Amino acid sequence: MSETSLITAAPGASARKRINGIDIFMWVLRCAVAAIALFGTVATLLEGRYSLAQWFDFAMFGLTLGSVYALIALGYTMVYGVLRMINFAHGDITMTGAFAGYFVATGASRSGLLAAHPILAILAIFTIAMVTCIAVALATERFAYRPFRNSPGQAPLICAIGVSFVLEQTVRGMFGSGVKSYPVTPWQDAVVTPLGMRIPVINLFVMGCAISAMVILYLIVHRTRMGMAMRAVSEDKAAASLMGVDVDRVVVFAFALGGAMAGVASVCYALIYQQVHFFMGFAPGIKAFGAAVLGGIGSIPGAMVGGMFLGLIEAVGPALFLDGLGITAPYQLRDAIGFLVLLMVLIFRPQGLFGEAMAKKRA
Amino acid sequence: MTVSKRICKRAFAGAVAYLALAGAAFSQSSEVRIEPGAPIVIGGYWVLSGGDAALGNDQKRGVELAIKDLNGTILNHPVRLLAEDSQCSAEGGQTAATKLASNPAVVGVIGPSCSSEATAAAPILWNAGLVSIGTSATAPSLTAPDRKADYKGFLRTVFSDADQGPADAKWIHDGLKAKTVVTIHDGSPYTQQLTAEMAKTFTGLGGKIASQEAVAPTDVDMRPLLARIATEKPDAVYVPIFVPATAQILKQAKQTPGLEKVAFIGGGGTMSPDIMDAAGDAVIGFYGAFPDVTPEAQGKDYPKLLQNYQDEYGEAPTSGFVANAYDALTLLRMALEKSAKTEADGTVVVDKKALHDALFTIKFSGMSGDISCTADGQCSAFKPGIYQYQSADRSSFAIGTNPKKIYP
Repeated sequence: MSETSLITAAPGASARKRINGIDIFMWVLRCAVAAIALFGTVATLLEGRYSLAQWFDFAMFGLTLGSVYALIALGYTMVYGVLRMINFAHGDITMTGAFAGYFVATGASRSGLLAAHPILAILAIFTIAMVTCIAVALATERFAYRPFRNSPGQAPLICAIGVSFVLEQTVRGMFGSGVKSYPVTPWQDAVVTPLGMRIPVINLFVMGCAISAMVILYLIVHRTRMGMAMRAVSEDKAAASLMGVDVDRVVVFAFALGGAMAGVASVCYALIYQQVHFFMGFAPGIKAFGAAVLGGIGSIPGAMVGGMFLGLIEAVGPALFLDGLGITAPYQLRDAIGFLVLLMVLIFRPQGLFGEAMAKKRA
Repeated sequence: MTVSKRICKRAFAGAVAYLALAGAAFSQSSEVRIEPGAPIVIGGYWVLSGGDAALGNDQKRGVELAIKDLNGTILNHPVRLLAEDSQCSAEGGQTAATKLASNPAVVGVIGPSCSSEATAAAPILWNAGLVSIGTSATAPSLTAPDRKADYKGFLRTVFSDADQGPADAKWIHDGLKAKTVVTIHDGSPYTQQLTAEMAKTFTGLGGKIASQEAVAPTDVDMRPLLARIATEKPDAVYVPIFVPATAQILKQAKQTPGLEKVAFIGGGGTMSPDIMDAAGDAVIGFYGAFPDVTPEAQGKDYPKLLQNYQDEYGEAPTSGFVANAYDALTLLRMALEKSAKTEADGTVVVDKKALHDALFTIKFSGMSGDISCTADGQCSAFKPGIYQYQSADRSSFAIGTNPKKIYP
């Protein structure tokens, strides 16, 4: 941001002085944060409190959490990529999927299906959660977003926030405000130990889900006719429409893909954290939105990398940066660290990690 | 123009008259005269509507039962209970207190249920010269030695939360025999103070606090924190926070190498069936540190009170605070009998200041245990209790059996 603005700024003396002031402040800020992080890291490592295996555990926790963020972020990115609209209700759409999956899972657990045929049961849970999320996403699009699609101002954004409240309170009204425990199967506790490292199978499963979801989305967008139509609508809605692209269909398809991602994310979330709650979509929704912006919103690999990065920072950051500085209760600051890193990245790259091509196109 | 001017004038005059009246009501005399045949009016305020209504209703009924046991009379005058709904909020407490304070017939007030109500209401009542006796408001600040002069008129026949942390530390040290403990709070003042108090006492007893951790109430991924705690090899983890975060900690601790067998001790925030739903089977073995509210910890007449309650209202009370409310009325009655003067014609004169002073001299064995007030208005002792969850079946929840009382 600062480099380019320096070069393109008007050569007026006062303007240069002002920009220089901000510029210096930015550099001082960056250096200060980097110095604190570096100092903390070195101090933590010298302290030698954690073994290599424990650092590896932290990284695994982070990548697992990051995979869930990434899956939700993919949903944000799909809709944003096509509509240039931030679907703030996406986190809560994920929550509806988690509830649908919860009811299937408890049913399967009670009838013994979950223990007898875990693969079948998991497939059923995934299917129902995805179908629910797709249905909710499409209903949201049809009734809350489409009427405002061409209206000026922030109407769609406010509408999205409204939908978020409606979904939360509906689920609260229907199923109560208590926290519900997701049934657990023995295979979820299974652990593999390659090279002496302890990896829970469930973590690998969730990461696998995230990576395959990303690859599938990427292929859809870049290798199919529908994907081409999506890219066309993303570039210019009016021109795409003139070329014979049915914009409504493309938008519906994008929402359906976003919903499917939310469904996968919801089951992955529930498998790891084993709780469902009417407000559970809010915090991961905000985090995943941050992850999507971090990766460059609209970019599919960006959402993936952004999510993994944020998850990793949250899990490793407090121990790595703060332990050595002698700060007590470092895990209280995990969100602060996560978002500070997000902020730092955006100061260096306002368009996000993978957002350059998009940013140029839209400019 | 002239019309509106006239209206303004009238409104102004009305306002002045109203203020004068209100002022008169507030600057009432320091004594209440109860003519022969007139009732002694006792004010009360509790949460009587909304989600916590059961809490307040129990206490109101406790006072009603106490009045009934006196055949409805004190000093040969019929007793009238004037109960207000204070909604478990500061605003509700303020409204209720203002109403009661402006009634010149009220001699003293019983209640409230919630500390937020008491914090707002007690100064309003005391500024009108009225004492108030809390029945389930347990915030430490209400009877702290450094409380403001406004709160001098507040006493309570219920324990103070200030004793919870030290009591927990004692049990963890002596009962559980833990040497190294990690505490976790969630950033709220209640949990932060509780963990700090417990840590202070535990260190004083010779134990070691390996670290004082914190989470956010909405955190779901506790694994990094638990992995960190595991490196400290604690014997116990003291985590008096609320249901969602506690449930995650209990579940994920079972999957954290090194923490599978460590004792986790929670507090009042998880003494509800919700923790069973949220944590599932991971709740089994989880300890709850909470005041002893089982019937055997109450006074010797408590079973009789329960029976009377059942006979009168056709159901059992939802909490043990019914006994604390009963004792509040007994305390007020005894102080009235000690301080009020009866004139020749039967008129009772209650000097509010004398009534206040008399409250601090009374000692008796009540429904909830021994009652005797400290100079800060704390009239009831803290009775520590430790409970342990036996199963995750929500329908089996009953404080005393599941979670089962294991101490004392």
